Parts: sequence; C-alpha cells; structure tokens
Amino acid sequence: MLFKDLCLLGDKPLVGRLLVILTIAEHHSNIVPWQLVAQKTGAILKYVTLNENGAPDIGNLKQMISRKTKIVAVHHVSNMLASVLPIEEIAHWAHDVGAKVLLDACQSVPHMAVNVQSLDVDFLVASSHKMCGPTGIGFLYGKSELLSAMPPFLGGGEMISDVYLDHSTYAEPPSRFEAGTPAIGEAIGLGAAIDYLSGIGMQNIHDYELELANYLHESLRAVPNIRIYGPVPSGSIRRAALCSFNVDNIHPTDIATFLDQQHGVAIRSGHHCAQPLHRSLGVSASARASLHFYNVKEDVDDFVRALKDTVSFFNSYK
Amino acid sequence: MSSSSISASLRLFTTKFPNPLLSHKTFISPKPHSLSFFKTISFQKLPTTPSSPSLSAAAASASSSLPLQPIEELPPKLQEIVNLFQSVQEPKAKYEQLLFYGKNLKPLGTQFKTKENKVEGCVSQVWVRAYLDSDKNVVFEADSDSVLTKGLAALLVNGLSGRPVEEILRVSPDFAMLLGLQQSLTPSRNNGFLNMLRLMQKKALQLAVEAEKGKLSMSEKVDGGIESVNFESNPDVGVEENPVGISDSLSQMDGSAENGNFGSNSNARVEESPVQSSNSDSLGSRGVRIKEKLERELSPVELEVEDISYQHAGHAGARGSDGETHFNVKVVSKEFEGKSLVKRHRLVYGLLQEELQSGLHALSIVAKTPSEV
Repeated sequence: MLFKDLCLLGDKPLVGRLLVILTIAEHHSNIVPWQLVAQKTGAILKYVTLNENGAPDIGNLKQMISRKTKIVAVHHVSNMLASVLPIEEIAHWAHDVGAKVLLDACQSVPHMAVNVQSLDVDFLVASSHKMCGPTGIGFLYGKSELLSAMPPFLGGGEMISDVYLDHSTYAEPPSRFEAGTPAIGEAIGLGAAIDYLSGIGMQNIHDYELELANYLHESLRAVPNIRIYGPVPSGSIRRAALCSFNVDNIHPTDIATFLDQQHGVAIRSGHHCAQPLHRSLGVSASARASLHFYNVKEDVDDFVRALKDTVSFFNSYK
Repeated sequence: MSSSSISASLRLFTTKFPNPLLSHKTFISPKPHSLSFFKTISFQKLPTTPSSPSLSAAAASASSSLPLQPIEELPPKLQEIVNLFQSVQEPKAKYEQLLFYGKNLKPLGTQFKTKENKVEGCVSQVWVRAYLDSDKNVVFEADSDSVLTKGLAALLVNGLSGRPVEEILRVSPDFAMLLGLQQSLTPSRNNGFLNMLRLMQKKALQLAVEAEKGKLSMSEKVDGGIESVNFESNPDVGVEENPVGISDSLSQMDGSAENGNFGSNSNARVEESPVQSSNSDSLGSRGVRIKEKLERELSPVELEVEDISYQHAGHAGARGSDGETHFNVKVVSKEFEGKSLVKRHRLVYGLLQEELQSGLHALSIVAKTPSEV
C-alpha cells in the first residue's frame, strides 16, 4: 500500500521506456502500483522467473539489470515461497548501473534484523499489521537525499511550507509526503509494536524461527501427496517459517475450512495476493501455514496431525 | 459576607456532593428558588437492546426469535434438505452429508463454465447454469473445484431446480442459517453460498423476462406486459430488482382490460402468485381460515377453496384490501342433503360471516351432496 508513495517517481526518473525489474513472486502491492506507473510513463516492467529450486532465479535477475534499469523492486522474504533474496548483492548490481533499489520488507522486518545501512537499499517498505501492530499503517524508509529530491504526491496540510494563491512551497521530508492529519492512533500502536519486538530482540526471533521453519518443512513433508512450494532448506538455503502447499486432488479451501472448524487450526487459503506466482506454478490457489515467534513446536505437531486427518477425510469421499 | 462566601464554597461543593449538604438548611439560602442550584446528579441507565440475551440463545438454536423466512415458504425439496441438516447435529456429519450431495451432483459440461456462469465472492471456482424446461420451470446445474462448495451448490440445485420462477425468487438467503451449516462454515464460504443463491435467482429472473418477451411478441391482447408483483410475505427476498411474476394465466385470460393490468399499485397486491391460484397449498391466511371453517362445520367429502382475487384486482371490491377478496368454493357434503340451493348457499355464507365482514368481498359457491357429484 505504500508503493503509491513511489508512484511519485512516475514523474522525473522514470521518463521514457526505462525498466523496472520485479520478480514473478512479488505481492500484488509490489506489482500493481508499478503497472499504474508504467501506464502513465510508458516504462517497461520485467519479471524475474523461478529457478529449478522453486526460488527466484538470481542469475536471471543479474542478467536483467542493465543501463536501462531505473528501479529494482523486489521482496526480501517471499510471503509464499519462504525464500530469501541476497539483497546486498542485488543492491550492488543495481547501483553499478545507476538504478535504485526498493525493498519490500513486509515479510522480513517482523522476523529478523533488517539493517538498511548494510543492505544499502534506497527505499524500504514494511507493514504494521504484519509486525504485531495495528492495521491501516506502514512505513517507507528512503535515503534522505533521494526523498529531498522528490516532489510531493499528495497535497494538503502539513506537507507545505508557504501557501499562496497561485503556488505553494513544500516542507522537507518526511512531512512533505505526509499530507493531512496522520493516523495518530495507528502510529502510536506501531511504535508500541516496535518497542515490543525490539524488547524481545530481532536476532533472537530470527534464530528461534529458523529452527521452527526447518521443523515445519520437515514435518509437512511427511504428509502424503503434498507439494510444498519454495526451496528446500539446506546449509546454504534458509527458509522463512512458513509453508505454502497443495495436497493432490483436494482444494486448499476445503483443507482450510475443515482444519478450522474441526481442529481449530487457522491457515490461509487462496492466492495470498500473489496471482502471477500461482499462475506460473500452474495452480489457482494454495494453502499456507505461517508461524511467528509466539508459535511452538507443539503447534506444528498439532497442525500436521490435523492436516493428516483432514486429508484422509476428503480422500474417503473421492 | 462570610455567609455568602460559605454558600459560595458550598455551591462549588454541592456539585460533587449534593446529598449530605442539602440537609444543612442553615447554610443554604432560605429562598426556595435558590434550591435549584443544588440539584442532585442522577444517572439514567440507557436502555440496552432487549434482544441481546435472547440472540445468543437464538443463534445457538436457530430458533424463530430471529426474523427468518418461515420454512414453509421454501420450495418443498429445500424444506426437506433444511430438515435433514437440522436433524444432523454433529458438524462432521453435516460435512459428510454435504459431500454426499456434492458427489451426486450431475456434472456440468465444460462449455458452460463461462464468465457469466461464474459465482463471484468464492475462494474456489463455482459455476451455475440455468435454463427453462418445457413447463417453464427453472432447471439448474452447477460445479465447483472445491468439494465443500460443490456440496453447497448441490443443495441449491436440488432444492431449487425444477421449480417455478416466483418460488425461486421468494427464497430468502436467510435459510442458510436454518441449515445450521453456518456454524460449520467460514463467513467467506457463506458469502459464496449466498452469492450462488443470488446468481441462481438472477438467472431465473432473466430467463423469465426473456420468456415473457418471447411470449409478448406473439400475444396481441395483453396490456403492457410485465406485471410487477410485490411479494409482501417476504420483504427480505434476496434479489436486487423487484421480482417479476410471470403468469401463465395471462395467456388464459380473455384480454379484458381488468385482467390484463395488474399494475404495481399497492392496492392490487396479491399474496400469492397468480399461477398457483388453483393450488390450495398456497392459500393465504383467509383462504386457510375459510377452508378450516368449512371442514369443521360441514365435514365435506370434497372441498376446494380457490383464491381468485387477482381476477378482480383493481375494481371496487378489491381496492384497499390486501388481496384475498374473491374466492371460488366447491363443497361436497352430506350437510346439504334436503336443502334447496338457496339454503345451501345461506349455510355457507353463514359460516363465513366473519370473513365477509372483514374484507371478503365475494364467494362463488358450488354446494353439492355426495350423491349429486
């Protein structure tokens, strides 16, 4: 939702048939705003595909970056594949050709320490409701010299300096991009969520979830006829603590409904705001179990047990 | 001065502590009107909605304290299905029942899995197809890639298929609650269910309108064309437009102005569809009362009560009433033996005095003895 902020880039930097590089695994919020920008400016969108491991193809990404590239807008952690992109390298490649990097960190900020200095991204976005905060708010981080060079996209109170009848001057960032009375309650709530998470320690959360992620993946593999999306975890490949999956011949919505009503286990089913990804995987929908630091191994055990029961219930009706 | 300062401070005081200090009359000015400064603060409890405790009980038992469409108004097959699901208590068994329905659903040809047939608001893919059979009843077919949704689709297909358009349009989405499946199904799933019903009703309406258009181009006698019938008995009917009552009787009428124009004015409302006027299961309350009275008093061998109020809608006798003004009554009873025709009619009229005084305008009576039939 904050990507509309970046539509303000639709004025100067994206003039002409210049490239925006995305991956096919992006969340709709990192696809649709770019489509709107492309309609306005004629920019071209290019999508990185998946490799044989089921993760975005980094080699493919590197190849795509050229002098024509203006923006590389990618996810940090995929909300469906659980894969993690090597952002520091990607930022290097992008900066080498003068392109800017926008990082969709919605799935990473709540689960690990994300350091904008060491990643060296130009912009970063994250969502409050994914990090234990209230809905309706998120944030955009941007390098100050870049933000200062950008014109406002929304006009009104707060973002101005002086207002005349025929023109106005604008405030410095961040106010320049925060027209109107802000979502005060939500912002305070987000602040509380940040304090809460910081109190636990992002590194602690990450280490704990890494173990949980492996346990979840391992346990799910034991379910017959299951297909889990994303890469297989190993020494060099780490997965986030989530698994999107499908079971042969059973619709993910049936699974989710039964799990919820009969077993009290809540998972998500649908396209998880990633329709292009589902299309490329050849499925209309999938089920997804995702964990956070408040889950424990017993939750995984309960879930897998319930899933096995669900699968046998539906299989008995074939 | 000192007393006024005391009373001044008292005045401040009494806004917080009205009662005890009021009794100390020496401090308060003797003039009665100044007592108004020392009003007690009272708190009025705001009325809470009285239905809240009963709502939870109602939700638990899906009982009639909620304003749901009565089950008798549902098409017969659907009533059966509702009763079946109500008799199955355990959620898992309800699922099994649902899956059973889905399994036995007639498959839908892929050529019918089009955008117009797709149900919005479903997490899974659902298609519904509708067409009219030779009796102008709507036939439905459906399919889904999710077995639970397919089960729901099968419920609707089984419950509504083969029924006349008006009956289908009268079904309120409320009945989903009667199934008791709402406990077992997620809200978004229910939305899909309701959307399926709406799509089926919309398609039924479309078919009826198209059929009517086809008929009109052939018939030259009917005035205007589509009549609007308000289904007064069910204000919650789940269609966006006013339901259109398509009447086969249009072609049966002799095209007199009175019959051709049902109008949409409230005076011409009929409580039941004209098509079913000869069918006594759809009698309104007066029709039922008439039947019951005659049954009780005459012990008839044969009894037919027919509401023909629609034929008289728009003229003096019917104006201002809510339908149920004109009836055909055929009674075959031993009670008529030895009585002249006039006496037989007087007997029937006598039994229905109350009705005649409360809006029944006319009776057309056929009164026979068993030996005369």
